[in-house]
Amino acid sequence: MLRYIARKAVGWFLMIAVATNLTYFLANAFLKPASNYTALRPPRTPAQINRSLAQFNLNPDKPILDRWWDWISGIVTHFDWGQSPTGGSVNEQVAYRIFVSGQLVIASTILSIVIGVGVGVYTASRQYKAGDRVWQGISVISFNTPSAVASLGVVLAAIWLNQSVGDTLLPVAGAQSPEVSGFWPVLGSRVMHAILPTISLTFISYAGYHLLQRSLLLDNINSDYVRTARSKGLTRQQAIYRHGLRTSIIPVATQVAFAMPALFTGAVITETVFAWHGMGEYFTKTISTNDVHGAVAVAAFGALMTAIGAILADLVVVALDPRIRVS
Amino acid sequence: MIEQRAVTTEPGTQRALLSVRDLKVAFPSEAGRVDAVRGVSFDLHRGKTLGIVGESGSGKSVTSMAVMGLLPEYASVTGEILLDGKNLLDLDDRRMSKVRGQQIGMIFQDPLSSLTPIFSIGAQIVESLQIHQDISSAAAWKRAVELLDLVGIPNPDRRAKGFPHEFSGGMRQRAVIAMAIANDPDLIIADEPTTALDVTVQAQILEVLKTAQRETGAAVIMITHDLGVVAGSADDVMVMYAGRPVEHAGVDELFAQPRMPYTIGLMGAIPRLDDRDRDALTPVPGTPPLLVDLPDACPFAARCPAVEDACRAAEPPLLTIGGAGTGAAHSAACRRAEEIEDGAIAGKPIFPVPAAREDRVADVPREERPKVLELSGVTKTFPLTKGGLLKRKVGTVFAVNGIDLDIREGETLGLVGESGCGKTTTLLEIMGLKPPEQGSIAVCGQDTAGLKRKQDIRAVRRDMQMVFQDPMGALDPRMTVFDILAEPLRAAGERDKKVLGTKVAELMELVGLDPEHRDRFPSAFSGGQRQRIGIARALSTKPRLLVLDEPVSALDVSVQAGVINLLNDLKAELGLSYLFVAHDLSVVCHISDRVAVMYLGRIVEIGDTDAVFDNPRHPYTQALLSAIPLPDPVAERTRERVLLAGDLPSPTDETPGCRFVSRCPLHTTLSDPQKERCRGVTPLLTDRGDPDHRDACHFAGTTTSVDN
Repeated sequence: MLRYIARKAVGWFLMIAVATNLTYFLANAFLKPASNYTALRPPRTPAQINRSLAQFNLNPDKPILDRWWDWISGIVTHFDWGQSPTGGSVNEQVAYRIFVSGQLVIASTILSIVIGVGVGVYTASRQYKAGDRVWQGISVISFNTPSAVASLGVVLAAIWLNQSVGDTLLPVAGAQSPEVSGFWPVLGSRVMHAILPTISLTFISYAGYHLLQRSLLLDNINSDYVRTARSKGLTRQQAIYRHGLRTSIIPVATQVAFAMPALFTGAVITETVFAWHGMGEYFTKTISTNDVHGAVAVAAFGALMTAIGAILADLVVVALDPRIRVS
Repeated sequence: MIEQRAVTTEPGTQRALLSVRDLKVAFPSEAGRVDAVRGVSFDLHRGKTLGIVGESGSGKSVTSMAVMGLLPEYASVTGEILLDGKNLLDLDDRRMSKVRGQQIGMIFQDPLSSLTPIFSIGAQIVESLQIHQDISSAAAWKRAVELLDLVGIPNPDRRAKGFPHEFSGGMRQRAVIAMAIANDPDLIIADEPTTALDVTVQAQILEVLKTAQRETGAAVIMITHDLGVVAGSADDVMVMYAGRPVEHAGVDELFAQPRMPYTIGLMGAIPRLDDRDRDALTPVPGTPPLLVDLPDACPFAARCPAVEDACRAAEPPLLTIGGAGTGAAHSAACRRAEEIEDGAIAGKPIFPVPAAREDRVADVPREERPKVLELSGVTKTFPLTKGGLLKRKVGTVFAVNGIDLDIREGETLGLVGESGCGKTTTLLEIMGLKPPEQGSIAVCGQDTAGLKRKQDIRAVRRDMQMVFQDPMGALDPRMTVFDILAEPLRAAGERDKKVLGTKVAELMELVGLDPEHRDRFPSAFSGGQRQRIGIARALSTKPRLLVLDEPVSALDVSVQAGVINLLNDLKAELGLSYLFVAHDLSVVCHISDRVAVMYLGRIVEIGDTDAVFDNPRHPYTQALLSAIPLPDPVAERTRERVLLAGDLPSPTDETPGCRFVSRCPLHTTLSDPQKERCRGVTPLLTDRGDPDHRDACHFAGTTTSVDN
């Protein structure tokens, strides 16, 4: 088992390395860091600009292979992912933003899985009854709601709530109040700030799990082995939970594992609406500011998350399904 | 069978264990209300076995599901199901779950899908125990291992930890039986428990069921379409048709004196191993009625040769007709039941035996007829690989290992063997028309190694056609019958619409279909008719050899008889040769001139059908023959079985020695040097005096033939 994981990890590591280096060359070909300096007053000559860029290993006059060598040496020796065209450290940005993104997506991911799978099981065992139809309707609506609409709706509702209470019950912007300090107050403030984005993210993402779980479980509910379980003396509900669910949850678990990377970088709109500075925002920002090193770091991070998701998915399947052998 | 009678209480002295009264089940459907079960009543006493027989759609499974309370919620169920005086239909799912598994155990048809794939066998039996008993996990596990031992799973300690996919079909069915008897039930319902299994495994499972019944003293409801299984295991038999019992009697009485034309038809339609006359079978014409809006008439009237006008006026009730003897009183739902004696009314058989057509090539001695197919030393292997991206070869599966056989004009060769023995691979090798890995294949004198050009291959292809097992899957649902039959003709270059039309009409008439129906789609035909279309399609190129892969195994008995008769007639009329692959030896016995028995990729015995079936020499052939249940309760009771242990091993390596050694009943009786020879020297096909009847066993001569 450990050997299997180690082998997989090595394979994925190579994949990440290839993807990251490829992105480095692509980013250098398409992004023009010099544009960060062209709008400055007083205007600078190209030579000046290149000199400024040269401090950050972005000088377009230097051969690309030399730049690449400096960049890759920095990563291998100090794990230094370079600087933005204006000198900000990529490492600092990413470290901070991963933390913010985690705060944003972890709770909502867990919630959407629990709610989605739970509703899926509930509706599957009541196929075509009122409960099933109502949930189906809700989920179809939420599935089709753009995240901007969901986020703004939540914000509006919170503002209305705050106004009617007359106090800031639920903060609608930022990841944390700037004025608090100390461990517990900061934690409390962060939890309060996370409530609204979590609601909005959960609302748009639970429906996928609901619909998937429902259809998978329905395939299993009428299977012969659930019938066998009932013939042993389990009630219909027990048979569905013990025998039907366990087999049908395997594909859902795989999907969850693979959804992880998209979650970290995909919550751009929610981050923007709630003014959070997470990885999603960094992703768009690095591209719009021609930040070569930042964009490459985001790509590397995405590749890493995919690798973790894939290995997790394998582990989950092996744990849940005895038919799968690791070798 | 005999022992189990000892625990029986006399009927009448005690209340019946299970008493079903006027059970009716209906389902809503798009076509209207389907009355799947229309008034079933029976009593079942402890220790007794009731066989419920009927074709698909007769309501036998729905009846058993109603007793188990496992019908879907939208089914409407009325009547009474009294188990120990308690009406099960009054119980809700929660209270019914206390009965299921505790008082009633159930065994399902398909052991491959009836176990949860992700739990170990032991865990699933432990669950059965712990649902109803308050015992510790350790004690339950111990009991589960005991149960697995009881149902004959070797190394139960180790196997209990195994998962269903690691078990063969027969082993899984044993595990299902272990689960069903875990809580010592009063009633065991077995719904076609052996239909999905090979005949040797079927014999084992029926034996296990008898053991289980003996251990628990339970009553058994045995649902099956196989009259042979019923004859060997039931005390009473209920024949169902169109949702109702049409005849109910003790097993001896029913088989000796059937009174309902449908029962008589069913019995006449089965090919029998112990009947070598090869008269045509008596098919029951027509198909069962749809169970929607049935008129008040005998539902069998449309198919009954003894029908009278009064039969269509009212549905006859199930009435007792004297009939003493053991078991239940004899009752039948037929107005003319009293007139029927020995399957005949006033001395005239109800189902007249159709006359077989004269065989035109039969007069020519076999040696003088040309060979239409010849296989010599044909071998097909599959590599066993390991690893994902870079596959390594770790072994070889010898699916077919050096097969020699020939078929001459106008002759049927039956190829039999358990699943996994290489029958289908052999067919595919022949149909592929490519030179095999080793050996050679010659079709109508043409060696496949010499077929290089496309038109040569096409010419040979025209001489050899195939009929498939599943008549539903083998026909394109979006083509009309005309298109299906005209396609091979068009492929042969025929373009003239008029010629096509006449040829298609001829073909349809030839196989007993109405040419008027040429514009219908396959879905408009019944299973038997679809198989006739499949045969007509195969005949359209005027082939000399038909390769038939289990052509009747998907069909009901009454329909199967018609298709078998058709094949026999076509052979006689057109001088066709057949390579007939089947696992049902009774069918093979009926239709074949010669038989080849396969075991793990090799032919172990080949010869004239009568010679092989009357005097089987290879221990495997003997075991196969003795495993087949006969539709005759008296013969079944006195018969001695050669039970094979275990399952077919996998043919992965090619060490010398007889491949049957691991299961051979003869091997265990041999002396040590003889055993050494079995294990060390591969036996070759040898004749013993009769050059036509050959077997591959070193010590076949030393056996006494087993009566079947």
